[in-house]
Amino acid sequence: MAVEHEFETIDLNVNIGPQHPATHGVFRMVMTIDGELVVDVVPHIGYLHRGAEKLSENLDYRQAIGIQDRTDYLGGFNCELCYVQAVEKLAGLTPPERAEYIRVILAEFNRITSHFMFLGAFGTDLGIFGTAFTYAFREREYIQDLFEEVSGDRMMYAYFRPGGLAWDVPDNFKDRVRWLTKQAMVGFGDLDKLLTDNEIFIARTRDIGKISAEDAIDYGMTGPMLRASGVKYDLRKDEPYSIYDRFDFDVPVGRHGDCYDRYLVRLEEVRQSVRIIEQAVEQMPDSGPFLPEKMPRALRPAPGEVYMRCENPRGEYGIYLIARGQTQPYRLRIRSACFCNLGALRKMTVGHYIADAVTILGSTDIVLGEVDR
Amino acid sequence: MSPEDRRREVKEAAIVPPPPGSVADLFQEALPDVEFTATQGVLDVILIIGRDDAPPVLEAAKNHPKLAFDFLRNLSGVDYEDAGMEVVYHLFSYKHRHNVTVRAKMPADDLHIKTATGLWAAADWHEREAAEMFGITFDGHPNPVPLLLPEDMLDHHPLRKDNPLAPLEVWQGTMLGPEMARAGYIPPGSGFEVQAEEEGEE
Repeated sequence: MAVEHEFETIDLNVNIGPQHPATHGVFRMVMTIDGELVVDVVPHIGYLHRGAEKLSENLDYRQAIGIQDRTDYLGGFNCELCYVQAVEKLAGLTPPERAEYIRVILAEFNRITSHFMFLGAFGTDLGIFGTAFTYAFREREYIQDLFEEVSGDRMMYAYFRPGGLAWDVPDNFKDRVRWLTKQAMVGFGDLDKLLTDNEIFIARTRDIGKISAEDAIDYGMTGPMLRASGVKYDLRKDEPYSIYDRFDFDVPVGRHGDCYDRYLVRLEEVRQSVRIIEQAVEQMPDSGPFLPEKMPRALRPAPGEVYMRCENPRGEYGIYLIARGQTQPYRLRIRSACFCNLGALRKMTVGHYIADAVTILGSTDIVLGEVDR
Repeated sequence: MSPEDRRREVKEAAIVPPPPGSVADLFQEALPDVEFTATQGVLDVILIIGRDDAPPVLEAAKNHPKLAFDFLRNLSGVDYEDAGMEVVYHLFSYKHRHNVTVRAKMPADDLHIKTATGLWAAADWHEREAAEMFGITFDGHPNPVPLLLPEDMLDHHPLRKDNPLAPLEVWQGTMLGPEMARAGYIPPGSGFEVQAEEEGEE
């Protein structure tokens, strides 16, 4: 992209990261700038590559659950859900009703905490220091307490199992969930009031990082990034897995595909997740088993392959699992949502100012643990 | 047969013909000259093709109006050791809302396949990852440099089956108890395989 000047300029290379607060982790991008305009962006990833796929191939089917938490560490329950469903599909296990409801409630709460994390961090990226983070983290902390009480951990849960759950939830689970849905809406309201009509916020995000629906599909973008560009596609609605076909909820869609629409889509998804949880907690059986009656001691799924996909907070999370009759997966490929979303970074950033590059990167909501695996 | 061998015994999935009217029939209609094996997977129809048929099949998958697979969900390499390697494409069509899995086979001694970057921009990073992890060359890729691994790590490909875990990782598995060591892969000659055999199966 050439810019007309009356004087002669030279292109400058600016290196951002790997250790930089605006990159949300260990991510490096080398930007070529002309004045303040970004001419080229070269992303460098792999600083957090831990070989999750190779490790999973060398572990038992149940042991590999722990690795799933460590890919997208902000949406651990969602990743586990995808993995255990892939194993269930091959092993022919059907989880009991109660386990399905608990899984959906926890996965949707995890979506809310992940989106709160985005809303707080995105506010900080744009210079609304502290306030957005405080609002988001107040509510997030209450939900984390529930996760800790249920699974024993705040982040790396390892709570779902092929066929059900590791153990039952505490007795007051339903009351806690009902209280938390109200509390999540308090946080939603506060963030909505702080950011949505904020003039500075709109000025910094409107028409920034635009991407058309065709380009978004071509780059394999999914989740809120794709829906902000106007494609109404949500795996929970279009290819329902688990028990998502029992709930009534809407899929928010943006119109412009810019950073502001991505923010709006994520904000609205918090409200829709609360709707799903409210319905799930009413339908959930009060008692019952959390594992199938007949569970094999050693999991050895029949030979076959499955590509299980789930709607994670960041988009489509896929597990391509090949079983060949062994006690370990023969091949486990993790299709990461933000890996594909980040692939379009150059397309979104070139032509904008260098200050907007931070906004665009923030709006992709990357988790480097999932990008690098 | 020792317990360890039984645990690692390989079985193949049976070929199940997909029901009539599936995506496989659309492919047969669009490409009458190309030979492929179709099988019904757990969720999607799987097409198994040769490496040389991959460009016309993928081209038709993207551009044929009845197929119109505009979204490359996932691209992965798979190492089947002596049986060669595969590049697996998971495709989805937003227009017709159907899925397909295309598995392109290639012999172990000639790991070349034509790039799909011209059809889907998403293939760019996926192919770079498959290339560094498996040593597959994607002919015509615009930027064939390593993505996740260091630039100078060209001597081995981590996800190949003949590339064992580091001795340190095996040692860590043993430290965590015999159960952990048994579940993990124990490379022959490391000295740990004797211990695993002695314990036997419960």
